[in-house]
Amino acid sequence: MARIKRFFQDVYKNKTWLLMVLPGVVWFLLFSYLPMFGTVIAFKNFQFHPDGFFASVINSEWVGFENFEFLFSTDDAFIITRNTILYNLVFIILGLILAVATAIILNEITNKKMAKVYQTGMLFPHFLSWVIVSYFVFTFLSVDRGMLNNIFQWFGMEKVSWYSEPEYWPFILVFMSMWKGIGYGSIVYLAAIVGIDRNYYEAAMIDGASKWQQIRHITIPMITPLIVILTILNIGKIFNSDFGLFYQVPLDSGSLYPVTNVIDTYVYRGLMTMGEVSMSTAAGLYQSVVGFILVILTNYIVTRINKDYALF
Amino acid sequence: MLKPAVPSKKVPKAVKKKNYNPHQLGKKANAILNTMLAVFAFSCVFPFLYVIIISLTDESVLEKNGFSLLPETWSFEAYQFLWAIKSQLLQSYMITIAVTVLGTIISVFTIAFYAYAISRPQFKFRKQFTFFAFFTMLFNGGLVPFYIVATQVLHLRDTIWALILPMAVNAFYILIMRTFFQRSVPESILESARIDGASELRIYFQIVLPLSLPGLATIALFSTLGYWNDWFNALLFIDNPALVPLQSLLMKIENTLEFIRQNTLLTGSVKGIMQSVPKDAAKMAMVVIATLPIAVSYPFFQRYFIQGLTIGGVKE
Amino acid sequence: MKKIFLVLFSCLLLLSGVLAGCSSNESEAGGKDGEEVKLTWYMIGTPQKDMNKVMEEVNKYTKKKINTTIDLKMIDWGDYDKKMQVVIASGEPYDIAFTASWANNYVLNARKGAFKELDQLMDEHGKELKGALDPAFLEGAKIDGKLYAVPTNKEVGQQGVYVFNKRLVDKYKFDIQSIKSFEDLEPMLQTIKEKESGIQPMTTFTPHAPFDYILDDKMPFAVPLEGENKIVNVYETDEMKQNLDTLHKYYKAGYIKSDAATSKEPWALDVENWFVRKELYQPYAENIWSRNAGYELVVQPMHESPITFNNSVTGSMQAISATSKNPERAMEFLNLLNTDEYLRNLMDKGIEGEHYEKLDNGRIKDLPARKNYTVPSFALGNQFILDLYEEDSDDKWEKFEEFNNQSDDAPTLGFYFDPKPVRTEIAAISNVTSEFAQALLTGSVNPDEYLPKFNKKLKEAGLDKALDEMNKQYEEWKKKQ
Repeated sequence: MARIKRFFQDVYKNKTWLLMVLPGVVWFLLFSYLPMFGTVIAFKNFQFHPDGFFASVINSEWVGFENFEFLFSTDDAFIITRNTILYNLVFIILGLILAVATAIILNEITNKKMAKVYQTGMLFPHFLSWVIVSYFVFTFLSVDRGMLNNIFQWFGMEKVSWYSEPEYWPFILVFMSMWKGIGYGSIVYLAAIVGIDRNYYEAAMIDGASKWQQIRHITIPMITPLIVILTILNIGKIFNSDFGLFYQVPLDSGSLYPVTNVIDTYVYRGLMTMGEVSMSTAAGLYQSVVGFILVILTNYIVTRINKDYALF
Repeated sequence: MLKPAVPSKKVPKAVKKKNYNPHQLGKKANAILNTMLAVFAFSCVFPFLYVIIISLTDESVLEKNGFSLLPETWSFEAYQFLWAIKSQLLQSYMITIAVTVLGTIISVFTIAFYAYAISRPQFKFRKQFTFFAFFTMLFNGGLVPFYIVATQVLHLRDTIWALILPMAVNAFYILIMRTFFQRSVPESILESARIDGASELRIYFQIVLPLSLPGLATIALFSTLGYWNDWFNALLFIDNPALVPLQSLLMKIENTLEFIRQNTLLTGSVKGIMQSVPKDAAKMAMVVIATLPIAVSYPFFQRYFIQGLTIGGVKE
Repeated sequence: MKKIFLVLFSCLLLLSGVLAGCSSNESEAGGKDGEEVKLTWYMIGTPQKDMNKVMEEVNKYTKKKINTTIDLKMIDWGDYDKKMQVVIASGEPYDIAFTASWANNYVLNARKGAFKELDQLMDEHGKELKGALDPAFLEGAKIDGKLYAVPTNKEVGQQGVYVFNKRLVDKYKFDIQSIKSFEDLEPMLQTIKEKESGIQPMTTFTPHAPFDYILDDKMPFAVPLEGENKIVNVYETDEMKQNLDTLHKYYKAGYIKSDAATSKEPWALDVENWFVRKELYQPYAENIWSRNAGYELVVQPMHESPITFNNSVTGSMQAISATSKNPERAMEFLNLLNTDEYLRNLMDKGIEGEHYEKLDNGRIKDLPARKNYTVPSFALGNQFILDLYEEDSDDKWEKFEEFNNQSDDAPTLGFYFDPKPVRTEIAAISNVTSEFAQALLTGSVNPDEYLPKFNKKLKEAGLDKALDEMNKQYEEWKKKQ
């Protein structure tokens, strides 16, 4: 009883804070938590029932882990898992380095007007959807009309049929992902860098610290919490991938599958003929659970190193 | 020639280049860094210019020569095609703008409130609520239950709210904002106000928000982009042509093309569709008019954004 | 810490209770004793400007006739599948939906219980409709002996034809009648390639293959039209090998677009950039195509007589939802739509005097406003009661019936495979197929090298198990026939 009483006292004492989180909590409950009950269909053979979704869920038979099997059953399963993880690792590491570097440079260069222009320019790709980006890539890589092959011919080199030669694609995909994401990523870091108290830098300059030392000893440590959080979050999505990047940019070309097939595209292609709600839910759940475990692990490690940086 | 789409890893190395300049960035380093950023920024804008050129290229030239930077024949035909559907375009513009503005306001408020609360050590349940938000980033119930909540619990179908509410909150932004609040709004600043007896809400509006403009501007920018580019919610919830946003007009064309590609056997019976699918130039024109407004308004928007950043920067 | 989760959890439970309540209580039942009913109808096609105008007229008429109004929701081609998957899975109440082998998949949805069984409903509320339909449709569309959607009365069989650009055929005096096989095209393609720049000798298509496909025309499962009556892997047959070899030869010679495997080129008819293409025929189709193209076309059949496949009898249908509160009315409406000439023509071409006009001889002609109302005729309903255009031949519908009578039944007509026992394998095979089939079927890769690889990967993906299951189901089905 006493504990319950104390709980309510706590609630009362924190009422302003609770009021602040209330709108968000309501939203999360409605749009995120409530729909999570739907996940049970990952373990069922989903059959429709005339009385609506709930009746359908209740009346469908349990099948255990059968809906997950297609993710593990073939040799392709290994390839897609490998591709997904490797690409994401590269995206996380390279994306982090490039975004932080760009943000620091934007903050440091002397001509602020130009910095603004660059920043505007770099955010541009973020406005374009992958479909449009894929058109653009196509204008470069098209076999007979592409800009690259035209240049190659100009120099008397062999034409490359880009869309059927897998060896180039890991680079193309990484490049495109960076190209589209860096402007956006650097903004977050820039906002944090600009937010750093100027006094730190002044003190450092009085001590004769070089720019490089300032960056190393002030800027980077000050944005480390943000870096850690964003990285932990990205690790949580390591089994997910940007469908547009892996499906639309390579134009769904079969010969590129060994390097472009990732879990999301595999699920999409596998279920196209059957439209199985249960199996796609199962795939989503698999991605979430792995991501969740990884995040908890990383967060635990971060906690051991420095408690302040932990996500929760 | 223009920088082709080959991988380049030059950018990060540059950071090391400026070792020897103690105070200001040296002239040489500055020039190098400027050039690199300029090249990268140009490579980012270039596709868009290219898209504009294609949209102004004569369709028969596209058919014959493919894409080129300097087309043989220029043509405004693609935009004439769009002029023919101007009433729909105008209506869609209105919807997109309304959704973007309203949505951004709602989402910035909700996110900032939530993030601020979980950034304060005084809030006893901050860890729980952080986790509560974070958990939603990884697990979702899938499309169907989400659709049911929106249509059968909230009755959002065919209302403008169907385009706004589903994207109003984002745990990712909340966590970014939380970090921002933790770093930029230190407790020491708030202590004195608390001693003066100001309520937490008053502190929030009068001290915290003005201090947090860079963060708020970042979140606002992200949600503006999110709303402007969204088409999926419209696909799910909007049947009324008067409520269709701009991006979904564009995506409809794409989806139809993909549909044709996957249903090659159908050619006989889908003749009707083929005629309604715009040609390349028209498609690019569509991209231009769907992207241009936000692209040109962003620099203005960015002024405030930069201002926000600077105000945040010179604070005590 | 634990408590707050407990509290939250109970909130959730409460909310889900609300949710459950909402979803089951919402209904617009009624209409049992002839009260007015509003039916929701999901239809594929680009939404039209004058839709509301036309639907007002439709509703006036249907209200008078069967005291029913229609809320027509047109969903664009590419969006329809995605939207209907969600609508159906969410159990949302609606009444009628377009379904076919190629959109809002008829067999899958029927198997999963999304649609109402119609046999009895049709006997009670759709007698005229049943009489108007070619029996081949009704028989062919039955899944395990039950009908789940009302087929559209149109051509029942599929007849692949080569379509040629007549200008070029005349220019080089080609004898297209002599073309009996895919290989016969070669000299013509060669001439076009050499002499006509800017013209692609052939559009991206796969030649006629003598197979009756089980799932779709890329997946490896099919029964050969000649030979042993069982399901085989088409990619191991000689006929397929020969086709692929020819395709690759044509590809290498430049007759096929060099990026055919990845191209989204729709080969629109009104762009004159091709010489030969493949289409599915119906009587007098060349006239319609020529009209759409704006230049003359000629056709030459790819095979003897039309064949009635599962895909062709389920090519265009209207299903009544299992969640419909007024299935009887829905059936009455479909009955009216498919048998009432006024209603059918109204829905097809819009309002007389505004979108089209009737000429003195009973023929019709489009008016300029028709461009504000163009709906996919073949997807809406009975073709045989449509008014004829000025330039149509008198015997158009007779020719259709003749065409239908000539059609031969495919071996698996009426057999619908249930993938449930092997869905893991099908998912894997589907992936392998999309990796190889597109490249092979456009001739882009050498079959000598890729076909063995493809077959090996199919085997690894569980092809044999899937084939065994299919043949088991097929044998059982054959016994019942």
